[in-house]
Amino acid sequence: MNDKEIDGILKNAKAVTGDPPPEVLRRITDSIVPSLRPVRPLPPAWRMTGTLIAVCAAVSLAGALRVGLAGFDKMDLPQRVVIFSGLAVLVWAAARTLVAEMIPGSRRTVAPLVHLAMSCAGLAGLFALMFHDSSIENFISIGLNCLFTGLLHAVPATLLSWLVLRRGFAMNAAAAGLLAGMLGGLAGVGMLELHCPNFETAHLVVWHTAVVLLSAILGYLAGLVVRRLTRRIA
Amino acid sequence: MAFARNFLPGRTNLMAAARSRYQSSEGVHLHDEAEMPTEDGAMVVAAPSARSFESLMVRYQEGDFAAATALIEACSPRLYRFFLAQAQSRIDADDLLQETWLRIHRVRHTYRTGEPALPWFYAIARHVRIDHYRRAMRGATNELELEQQTRRDEIPARQPDDEYDLDTLLAPLSQSQRELLEMLKVTGMSLEEVARATSSSVGSVKQKVHRAYKKLRETMSAAGLGRERRERLS
Repeated sequence: MNDKEIDGILKNAKAVTGDPPPEVLRRITDSIVPSLRPVRPLPPAWRMTGTLIAVCAAVSLAGALRVGLAGFDKMDLPQRVVIFSGLAVLVWAAARTLVAEMIPGSRRTVAPLVHLAMSCAGLAGLFALMFHDSSIENFISIGLNCLFTGLLHAVPATLLSWLVLRRGFAMNAAAAGLLAGMLGGLAGVGMLELHCPNFETAHLVVWHTAVVLLSAILGYLAGLVVRRLTRRIA
Repeated sequence: MAFARNFLPGRTNLMAAARSRYQSSEGVHLHDEAEMPTEDGAMVVAAPSARSFESLMVRYQEGDFAAATALIEACSPRLYRFFLAQAQSRIDADDLLQETWLRIHRVRHTYRTGEPALPWFYAIARHVRIDHYRRAMRGATNELELEQQTRRDEIPARQPDDEYDLDTLLAPLSQSQRELLEMLKVTGMSLEEVARATSSSVGSVKQKVHRAYKKLRETMSAAGLGRERRERLS
C-alpha cells in the first residue's frame, strides 16, 4: 500500500461535519462587540528583533563599563572579531526565535531546546577555537564568580526582553521563558567577554557557557510558573 | 466562559443582525472583494475566501464590526470542525469555539499584516484546546484514558455496507499525528501553514506525517483496506 492509496482512502473517508449552532455564533459576536475598538498591531518582527539586540548590547556594555573592560583590552584583534561577531550572530538568532515564539502562527525554523543546545555548543566551540591556554587555576572559585556576575546581568536583560515583548502572546510560556533566559544569558556572556581577563580555555568553555545554560533553565522554570499562574487565574 | 454564555438567548439571523448594525453605523465602508450589495442597496460582507481572511483581520484590528462579524461567520465552521474532530462532545466543541474567539479577541493585536491569517487562528485554537484538555485531564480518571486507548488500538471490524469515517481511520495514530493529518487533509492547509499553526518547523511536520503514514500503512494493510480499494477501482 503506497502513500497515494492512503491519500485516496483518507480523501474518500467521511470527515467530521457540522456547523456551529447560530446561537453560539451570536453569543460570540455579542461577547466581542462591547469591547470592539481599534488596536495597535505589534510592530514588525525585524523591529522587535532589533530592539532585543539593542537591549542585550546595552546591558552588556553598561555592566562591563561599570566593572572595567579588562577582557576586551587583553584580547587581540582576531579574538575580538571572532568572539564578538559570533556572539552577535547568536544574540540575533535567539532574538529572532523569541520574537517568533511570542507571535502566534509565526514561522519556526528550529525547536527552542535544539536552539539552546546549538547556541551552547557554538559558544563553547568559539572559545575552544580562539583561546588556547590549557592551565587551570582556581577553577571553581573564579568560575563561580564569573557565573554569578554573568547571571546578575542576564536577569535584567531577560526582564527587559520580556518588557519589549509584553504585548505578544506566547503559545508555550515555558519555551518563551527558555528563549528569553537564553537571550539574557548571551547578554551576560557579552558582559563577561568584555570584562573577564581570564583566558583559560576550560574556564571559558565551562563557566561562561554555563551562564547561557543556567539562565535558560531559570527562564524555563519562570515560564512554567507563569503558565501555571495564568491557568489558575483563567 | 460564563461571560460568553450570559448573552441574549434565542435564535436570530446573525447576518441580518450584522447588516442592521452595519447600516446604523455611519462612516463605515467596506472596500474589497468581500463586500456585496443587498436588495436595498446596503453593502454587507460576503463569506470570504481563505485569502480574504487577512484583509478582514486587518479591519477587525481597526475595530470594524462588519469585518469582525464576517470573520466569525467565515472562520467558525472551520474551527468548530477542528474541535469536533477531537472533542468528547458537541458541547465541548461549542465551549472551545467560544473560548477561542474570546482569546482571539484579546490577542488580535498580535496578528501582523501580510502574514497568513489561517495559521494564526489555528495556533490560538490549538492553544485553547491544549489548555482545555490539560484542565480536563487533571480531573479525569484513568478509566477515560483506558477507554480512549482501547478505542485507538486498532481499526474496528467493518460491516460490508459501512464506510469508514476519518475519525476511525485516524484512530490508531497519536493525538499530534491525527491533528496534523486533519489539518492537512480536512482543512486543506499547506505544510508551511500547518508548521506555523503547530509552532514547529516544516521539516518536523514532514517527519511526523511520514511516521503517521507509516503507521496508517500498517493498520490499513492489516485491515485489508488497500486490497479492497484496488479491487473496487479495477
